[in-house]
Amino acid sequence: MDDVLLSVSDFVDLTNQTLEYAYPSVAIVGEVAEYRVSQGKWVSFKLKDDGAIIGCFMGIYQLRVPIENGMKIVVMGQPRLNPKWGTFTVSVRSVKPVGEGSIKKGFDLLKAKLEAEGLFSSDRKRSLPSVPQSVAVITSTESAAYADFTRILNERWGGLRVEVAHTQVQGQPAADQIIRAIRYFNNLEVLPEVLIIIRGGGSAEDLATFNDEPLTREIAGSRIPTLVGVGHEVDHTLADMVSDVRAATPTHAAETLVPDRQEIIRRVRLQVEGAGNAYRQYITYYVESTRQQLDRVHDQIHEHYEKARERLALLKGAVAQLNPDNVLKRGYALLRGRHEVGQTIVIETVNEVIEAEVQHVTRK
Amino acid sequence: MSQENKTVQQKMTALTELVGWFQSTEFSLEEAVDKYKAAEALAEEIEKDLTKLKNDISVVKQRFDSEA
Repeated sequence: MDDVLLSVSDFVDLTNQTLEYAYPSVAIVGEVAEYRVSQGKWVSFKLKDDGAIIGCFMGIYQLRVPIENGMKIVVMGQPRLNPKWGTFTVSVRSVKPVGEGSIKKGFDLLKAKLEAEGLFSSDRKRSLPSVPQSVAVITSTESAAYADFTRILNERWGGLRVEVAHTQVQGQPAADQIIRAIRYFNNLEVLPEVLIIIRGGGSAEDLATFNDEPLTREIAGSRIPTLVGVGHEVDHTLADMVSDVRAATPTHAAETLVPDRQEIIRRVRLQVEGAGNAYRQYITYYVESTRQQLDRVHDQIHEHYEKARERLALLKGAVAQLNPDNVLKRGYALLRGRHEVGQTIVIETVNEVIEAEVQHVTRK
Repeated sequence: MSQENKTVQQKMTALTELVGWFQSTEFSLEEAVDKYKAAEALAEEIEKDLTKLKNDISVVKQRFDSEA
C-alpha cells in the first residue's frame, strides 16, 4: 500500500475496520490498574499481566459489577484505535471478575454501595400474603431447582395460580433476561401477589448473575413483593439481600410461599376438637354448678331441720318439767279431797296413795 | 354466600369465628350442639377442599432473551 497516500483519519478508520473484521469480539483476562471514572459517565482502566498492558474504555452503565485496582477480571470488547488520542484501547462491553478473590471483592464493593443506599434496610421489606392466590416465578424451567420448587408447592398447597417466566439463570445474558421478566410481571394489569426468583446451587461464578448491580436494583424496585431463593443455605447473593423475603433454597422458597395443607388440616381438626372440649367444659361446669346449688339447698334444709329439732328438744324439756309425776319424784305430794275437819283426803306420793282424815285446819 | 362458593380461606375464617363462639360470652348450651355440628361439617369440607385443590402452573409465552 506504499503508493496509496492515506490521511491520518483514513488510516485510523482503515485500521479500525481491519480490527473489527479480525477481532469482532475479544475476551481478555488481566489485572485492573489505574481505574478511573470521568464525569460520572466514563470508565477507563489499564488491563495488565506480567508482560503487557492495554488501555480499556467503557460507559459506566456497562459496568455491572464494581471493580477496583488489583482485581482480576475478564473484559469482553473490541480493540480499536482511538482517532482522537491515537491510543490503542479496548472498547469494553462487559466486565466480569474472575477468581475467588476478585469475585468476592466485586461482591463486597457492590454490597457496601447498596447498603449505603439503604437497599438492605429492614424498613423496606414488605411481608408476603399468608396464602397468596396468584404468584409469578422467574427461573429456568429446565432446572432441577424449578422441579423441586413445583413439587414442594404442589405437595403443600393447591388452588394457586402460578405464572412462570423461563430465563437463563447463569451466564452473561441471564441478568438482563431476569430483569426483562421482572419488568414483564411488574407491567401486568393485574399484578401477581408475589414475585419469586429461584435458582439452584452452583459455583460462585454460576451465582454471579445474582450479584449483578442492575438486576439487584430491579429486584429492589419491584412493585410486587419479592421472594428470592438462590443457591444453597450458605450462599448469600445481593439479589436475596435486597429482596423482601430471602429463602435459603428454591425448596425453602416454596415452603415460605404457601402453608402446608396437612398442617392446616391438622390445625382445623384441633380447632374443632377445641370447640368440643369447650362445649364439654361448659356442660361439666353447668352440671357442677347445679350440683353445688342442690348441695346448698340440701344443707339449708338440714340446717332448718336441726334448728327445729333443737327447739323441739327444749320444748320437750319444758313440758317434762311440768309433768306432775316428775314433781312427785322430787318429793312433793298431791292432795285430793275437801280440806275440812272430819273429811277424808287422798294423799298421793311418788310411791303411795294414802287416805287420811282431816283433824285440824289452820288458815295461813 | 353459600359454603360451596366460598374459598378455603373464607371457610377457614368462618370456622375460626364458629370455634371462637364457644369461647365467647355469647355461648349458650341450647345453640352449642348445632354450632358444633356446623363446625365439624365445615372442617370436613375444608379438609376435602385442601386435599383436592390443584395449582394452575403455566409458563408465559413471552421470551426474555432479547428486548421485546
